[in-house]
Amino acid sequence: MANVRQWKWADDPTINDMEQAKLVKDGLDVIETIVEKYSKEGYDSIEKTDMDRFKWAGVYQQRPKDGHFMMRVRIPSGILSSQQARALAGIARDYGRDLIDVTTRQAIQFHWLTIETIPDIFERLKAVGLSSFEACGDCPRTIVGNPLAGIDPNEVLDTRPIVKELEQFFVLNRDFSNLPRKYKMSISANVYNTGHAEINDLAFTPAKKTINGEEVIGFHVWVGGGLSAKPYLAQKLDVFCRPDEVLKVAIGVTTLFRDFGYRQKRTHARLKFLVADWGADKFKEELLKVTGPLESRGEDLTQGWKAGYFYGIHEQKQKGFYYAGLSVPVGRMSAQEFEQLADLAERYGDGTIGTCNSQNVLIRNIPADKVDAFQSEELIVNRFKLQPNTYVGYAVSCTGTEYCNLAIVETKERMRRLAEYLDRTAPQLDTPLRLHMVGCPNSCGQRQIADIGLQGALVKTENGMVDAFDIYIGGTLGENARFNKKLNGRIEAEQLGPVLAQLIGVFAEERVPGEAYWQYVDRVGVEHIQAQLDAIRSADAV
Amino acid sequence: MAEPEKEFYLYKLEAVLPADRLLTVIVIADSDEKAFAYAENNIVRHTIVPPKIEQLGIVQKKPLGRGGVGYVVETSQFADS
Repeated sequence: MANVRQWKWADDPTINDMEQAKLVKDGLDVIETIVEKYSKEGYDSIEKTDMDRFKWAGVYQQRPKDGHFMMRVRIPSGILSSQQARALAGIARDYGRDLIDVTTRQAIQFHWLTIETIPDIFERLKAVGLSSFEACGDCPRTIVGNPLAGIDPNEVLDTRPIVKELEQFFVLNRDFSNLPRKYKMSISANVYNTGHAEINDLAFTPAKKTINGEEVIGFHVWVGGGLSAKPYLAQKLDVFCRPDEVLKVAIGVTTLFRDFGYRQKRTHARLKFLVADWGADKFKEELLKVTGPLESRGEDLTQGWKAGYFYGIHEQKQKGFYYAGLSVPVGRMSAQEFEQLADLAERYGDGTIGTCNSQNVLIRNIPADKVDAFQSEELIVNRFKLQPNTYVGYAVSCTGTEYCNLAIVETKERMRRLAEYLDRTAPQLDTPLRLHMVGCPNSCGQRQIADIGLQGALVKTENGMVDAFDIYIGGTLGENARFNKKLNGRIEAEQLGPVLAQLIGVFAEERVPGEAYWQYVDRVGVEHIQAQLDAIRSADAV
Repeated sequence: MAEPEKEFYLYKLEAVLPADRLLTVIVIADSDEKAFAYAENNIVRHTIVPPKIEQLGIVQKKPLGRGGVGYVVETSQFADS
């Protein structure tokens, strides 16, 4: 067994069972066991305690636990090459029934994998510089950020080298492979908060400060954000860090989490609990003990939040070059489509593809003289649209019962169909209306930050069991960050489209020009919209 | 290929009753159908006159894989036992 460390909590009798198991065998050690033992001896040979450790390999059991697995692949900052995209497509085609999902943290997920195939998948990923290691588990997950880094006219610096440095430092680093719980980092220098700073455990957002008469561009630091079943917005520390200090600060925060985070209850272990107890000031004090002196906060350069959407053709900071933001409805595509995207990225751009936390993709570095031809490509006209309709374009969904053991209802295909229905029946708007659908109270589909969040339940009716949804309204990130609020009155899935179309219809009538849905909720109040829903339900006897 | 293992879950159901009453029911079951049946049984056992249930819904389920699985049910006041 490799490298069992003596951690400071090793003799604490109050730590939970999973913590005890991690002391016996580090999560990372399961990678070798998968390759050397389980892949050769089969699914039935897998020990239950190791099944929990599979997450460190980026692998989860897929519903209904019949020997199939989901794998998540890290795409740091959502930037990958066409060669990497082809490798991913090949894995999906050969082992994953052709399916590729883009996640809300810019990763790529496969389904339907069997244990026998996983070593080959590890090798294929490694060959193109990708990895699934620590994409799940109690460790630093995929670093989210700006998929436009390096070409973005709205970034104050190029974060690619920083993200790369952090990935190289943290991935497979046994000093940080045993954290109290999952740990999510975000690094973006885009002024529209492409990294969703407030819902990450550790986030870096663009800032500037005059130091010794010189204006320095760097970052502000946020800690303790997270959604899950108990959402919590990150707190901004009184810290400014230069680009070359990001790694030091990340190590400092992660060290605090590792050494002071709570390990008694897994439900009370995320960094947000430590931050809530300590407060931002004490957290800063403790951080400085690890990092040494850091500058105090400077001027925030974040100007708003665009929710990770980049639709359309936009000029880059490199004059004469453009990026194309494309819609992938609910983030799902086939292996062939992903390969076709790689083809387009090579033929029109520099071969780079971006994955967005809105579950969409983008293609970078298209010269001006190729833009028209790119826009005419059949795949762009008919499938991955540059200007999707109001609802399909802003629909996000978790995996749902199709593959997830915790979900109560199907979500992925339902969200796609619901969005298409709304595009046919509800008013088209000049602002996004972000719809997020989730199949359980957890937050894979980030229901809490949606303009309209839809959370699944299963209800018993005269006609048997029927899927239904609770409606939540008014979520947003950015300066006015808040989680959405629940409306009373669960809606059966069959009625969801008509009910939402009516609610949105009222919004379209009552909104002031340019008003987003979350702003409307803020202005008119939840009770006003509750009354609308009550009236709709009474009229329709929903 | 291994047979799918039969897995038990801890279900959380909500029973909507007239006059904005809401009962939260927690049951262990190995299928959604059984969770509804067990919840109804528990509601009947809990009441002298079975209430009119306007809607009974499963809102969450958690695998009973390890000890400590549970739910916190927030109530506005202490009910009479």
